[in-house]
Amino acid sequence: MTRNTDTGDDSGDAVTDGGVAEDGQRSGFSPVAALNERFGSDFVESSQFWLPPFLLVGLFVYGAIIWNLLISLTDFTGFGTPDYSDLDLQMYSRALADSGFVDAAINTFILLVGFTLVTLALGLGLAILIDRNIRFENTFRTIYLLPMSLSFVVTAQFWAWMFNFNNGVINIVITSLGLGRVDWIGNPDIVLWAVMFALMWQFAGYAMVVFLAGLRAIPNEHYEAAKVDGASTVRMYWRVIIPQLKGSTISASVVLMVFALKAFDFLYSLVGGYRPPNGADILATKMVREAYANLNWAYASAVAITLFVMTLGIVGPYLYYQYNRGNL
Amino acid sequence: MTNQDKRLSRRHFVGATGAATLAGLAGCSGGNGGDGSDGGDGSDGGDGDGSDGDGGSDNTLEVLHAWTGGDGARAAEALVAAFEEEYPDVDHEFNPIGGGGNQNLDAVVANRLQNGDPPSSFANWPGPNLQRYEGVLGEVGGVWESEGFEDVMVDEAVDLHQYNGAYRAVPLGSHRLNCLFYNTSVVEEAGVDPDSLTSVSALIDALETVQSETDAIPMTHGASGTWTTTQLFASTMLGQEGYDAYMSFLDGSPDEAAVRATFESLAEILGNYINEDASSIGLTESNQNIIEGNAAFIHQGNWAAGAYRNAEDFNYDEDWGFKTYPGSEGMYMLHFDSFLYPSDNPSPEATEQFMAFAGSEAAQVAFNQYKGSIPTRTDVDMSQFGPYLQETQEDFASADQRPPNLQHGLGVPSETMTSLNDVISSEFSGPYDVDAATQGFVDAVSN
Repeated sequence: MTRNTDTGDDSGDAVTDGGVAEDGQRSGFSPVAALNERFGSDFVESSQFWLPPFLLVGLFVYGAIIWNLLISLTDFTGFGTPDYSDLDLQMYSRALADSGFVDAAINTFILLVGFTLVTLALGLGLAILIDRNIRFENTFRTIYLLPMSLSFVVTAQFWAWMFNFNNGVINIVITSLGLGRVDWIGNPDIVLWAVMFALMWQFAGYAMVVFLAGLRAIPNEHYEAAKVDGASTVRMYWRVIIPQLKGSTISASVVLMVFALKAFDFLYSLVGGYRPPNGADILATKMVREAYANLNWAYASAVAITLFVMTLGIVGPYLYYQYNRGNL
Repeated sequence: MTNQDKRLSRRHFVGATGAATLAGLAGCSGGNGGDGSDGGDGSDGGDGDGSDGDGGSDNTLEVLHAWTGGDGARAAEALVAAFEEEYPDVDHEFNPIGGGGNQNLDAVVANRLQNGDPPSSFANWPGPNLQRYEGVLGEVGGVWESEGFEDVMVDEAVDLHQYNGAYRAVPLGSHRLNCLFYNTSVVEEAGVDPDSLTSVSALIDALETVQSETDAIPMTHGASGTWTTTQLFASTMLGQEGYDAYMSFLDGSPDEAAVRATFESLAEILGNYINEDASSIGLTESNQNIIEGNAAFIHQGNWAAGAYRNAEDFNYDEDWGFKTYPGSEGMYMLHFDSFLYPSDNPSPEATEQFMAFAGSEAAQVAFNQYKGSIPTRTDVDMSQFGPYLQETQEDFASADQRPPNLQHGLGVPSETMTSLNDVISSEFSGPYDVDAATQGFVDAVSN
């Protein structure tokens, strides 16, 4: 992005590699032609369409991430300007020594893995059931997908009522079965699972749609061949159909994991503040608390970078996988 | 060599971009010094833009506050109306930013101060809370002097509105924190006389009586946020261990035995006498237990009384009552709602007029009678206030001591407050770990 412009060029466009441009044996040297030759026939002509968004995204997304990284290396707190002259990893070692941070990181990880796996399983189950040529197929599909169209603010309030100790539907059902009430939100050992359950309810429909599309892409012959060979229904799905859903699984899990990292909205709306119930603190809420309650900008940036690295750890392999398959 | 060979395929291009990004990342983090100063320039540019923007809206007074719902919204309206009456020529814009208590307001203010685009004034707490705004607050000593605020405000207000030797803010009203409210019919049914409760142990005995004599919750508590427990700690410590122990806790030299004894009492109260759903409800629902007669006592700041006033057929002295938190008789645990003055002010003249107004009798009467708080001036005619607030004002003016609160900015800096709440969240929101909470609190204030 920030490579040097060849000083010899009179055109304002950055020439990425002067050496290649030289081999033109035509009468006049033209950087435009050289660029087009290198990157495709419309490279310069089309640049007016892709260059502005390219630069804007570069600056405001990647530039901001890099700036964030820099701030996390300073000791910046309060107001004023950060001092960039003394950069170190102090904020990261502070994070590792901070039990609140470690708890939040563990919770984030549990949420990430648990929520994604269970949602995938649930989505797959729903997709298979719906794919069995049932009646009212579209109605069911809509019903399952509907929760995802709701905002976190709505679903969080909704589940706050569901989980209410005295009047919540869940506790009413449980007590009518003769069991004791459970403090879903207040018990630190349970609350994370309760949150996970609510998120699962919201996103199982999404996983279902992705799997359904995958199932529909499998030719009928595969089902028929399995049947002819005498495979039971369970065996057919387990051996023949599910292995073909690898692509759907991967794309759904990436999206779900990113949603899990964004559970901030849900937790914020659940309690109406930056501090989730004890036992449900995640990195995103910790980050906002450090930044806006304490004005510990550098520390909050370090938390943000940790979160970013976690996300990258998820999305990176996926991008590499897609790249290897030639999808990018 | 054909053209085809020399062209980069899209896949290669993606690969190259990825590599270039990595190289860029590495380059930037390697070349720390240079990039760092660039970053600094960038934020300087932001400052410049900010003041340009201010130039455009020079005389408009912009005040940010968080009073968006119920009492608060009505009080803010009354304040604006009174301001318009007093200063009809000042262009003004009062922007409420609600949500999450003060959290959203604080976040907006922090962003704007950071970007060099301060509002004319914003509502917040004075005292050690001002520490987080170090370097971005201006001085309003001129207003304090010309309006003679030092003579009419209580001494604590005079002290707490100064930071680094200069006045940074002007108070608008005060809530009281060491309050115990009760439902009259429930305590009568239990045979408890609230006025006789003059120690924390007497309170615990009374809670036991309520539990054995009635079906009501002895003490209702809304602990979905940790702040209610932290402020209960403050009142309990003040009531049980006394003014000096509480003040030395705030000053950073806590007596561990006093902190432990306070937590032991708290563990007894919270472990035995509160509602089962405490950890999943907030203040509003908890307070509703008092109004509906489901609970005997609640500890809160006196904003809780605002809900009683708005409830139908629920009158002071008949249906609900007030008792100073047991053991803290003669003391008024302070809270201030104040307006802070940012430096680099977009409308210095209008802001100073507004500051002078905020501390005036007209503003304090207009605002506080609806907010359920009391004026911070001691020379105000209280006839427009209800009987409960009149009594509060008398207590305020005649209090032997006015210790600052712990949870609402006046006692400790905001970062310490966050640490205290972290401790409550992880160690003292059930199960109640007295040892860990004591250690956590002592550590949090000691540094």
